[in-house]
Amino acid sequence: MIRCHPRLEQLVKFVEGNLSYSESILIAAHCDMCDHCRRVVDSETADQAETAFGTDVVQAGPDFDAMFARITQLPAAPAFESGEVLFKPPSKTSLELDGKSFRLPRTLQNLAGKTGNWTSLVGRLWQAPVDLGCHGVANFIYMAKGGSVPEHTHRGTEFTLVLDGKFSDGLNDYDTGDFIYLDSEHTHAPKTEFAEGCLVFSVLDQPLHFTSGLARLLNPFSHLFFR
Amino acid sequence: MLVGIPSQQSNNVVKPKECAAEMAEHIVAVAEKRCKVSFAIVFGYFAPRLRSYALKQMGNEALAMELVQDTMSNVWQKAHLFNSEKGSPSTWIFTIARNIRFDMLRKLQNRKEEICSEDLWPVLCEQTADVNETSLDEQITLEQVGFLFDSLPRKQKAVIEAIYIDGKSQQEVADELDIPLGTVKSRTRLALQRLKSML
Repeated sequence: MIRCHPRLEQLVKFVEGNLSYSESILIAAHCDMCDHCRRVVDSETADQAETAFGTDVVQAGPDFDAMFARITQLPAAPAFESGEVLFKPPSKTSLELDGKSFRLPRTLQNLAGKTGNWTSLVGRLWQAPVDLGCHGVANFIYMAKGGSVPEHTHRGTEFTLVLDGKFSDGLNDYDTGDFIYLDSEHTHAPKTEFAEGCLVFSVLDQPLHFTSGLARLLNPFSHLFFR
Repeated sequence: MLVGIPSQQSNNVVKPKECAAEMAEHIVAVAEKRCKVSFAIVFGYFAPRLRSYALKQMGNEALAMELVQDTMSNVWQKAHLFNSEKGSPSTWIFTIARNIRFDMLRKLQNRKEEICSEDLWPVLCEQTADVNETSLDEQITLEQVGFLFDSLPRKQKAVIEAIYIDGKSQQEVADELDIPLGTVKSRTRLALQRLKSML
């Protein structure tokens, strides 16, 4: 069951279009999986539309006649000119790893084509980078059963969406669909004992900072988790 | 100019909700008949409101007018993607404007990535606007499609057959069957919706 949702003000900013692209992707993908947040976003969109266009004083601009003339000379956009529109499946609806296939939420399907190869990390972890083409790094991360990430905190922010399975991190237990926001105030050590392992999508804007024991030696190499 | 834009006095106190049903009908008329009178009413209502939204967001008259023009061009050209079951005209138009603004601001920040607000809020993309969000099962066989196709009403079937099987353009079909282009489009759309609901 989904228990971790974006905060209401995050959803409001998302609808306004005032969040970064990477944060927006995480929220959009969460809404693909979470009926509750999707309903909030839909009704917030309707409310914002009503507010934006509900202004009492509306003045005609000087250029509206010319604009109207320009627009109505444009042809209609082609619709259904070919069968591809209906029967073309999205480029990639699922992600494969180690004989497993994970179905992706719609928003992430659009990104699946920009996903690199899986690489194996320490501790039964697998990572596949996604090129968002913008600041920060995004990865699909798969933790096999018993897999863990050494305890760490974040120099910047980390958004994580649980796509399949469950994991715990000493702060909370997370389930499929959960949306997790962590920053430098949080120190955690993700691990999963779930039989099927756990697939997450994660966006970081700064490298991790490992905080305990020998893992601190990883800090000079934390860019390996950040690429 | 051929068609007058209605005077602002008459509609500047009407809230979007109060004219939603009327605007929805006009957008459908634009989609089906390329009706300029209907578009003039939609334009007359929304363009000035879009401008005041855009001015607040962009803080610049030139950018604001660009946002209005891009938004209203999409309404004119892609009116067939409006679906009143999914939301009101003001919500649809707001979503288009918000998406264009999102892309414009990122372009202004000189981001080089391929920007696509449609990835986040699909509203003008055929696939998600007219086919349900969940992708079609890829294992549908041609036989199944053929079977469903046979169950379409005769008029819709004729249009679908001409477009999807014979590969004709919608205009050619309209000429051949001697019916308006808008009718071809609405029959196509109804048929696809029907097929979708059966799949």
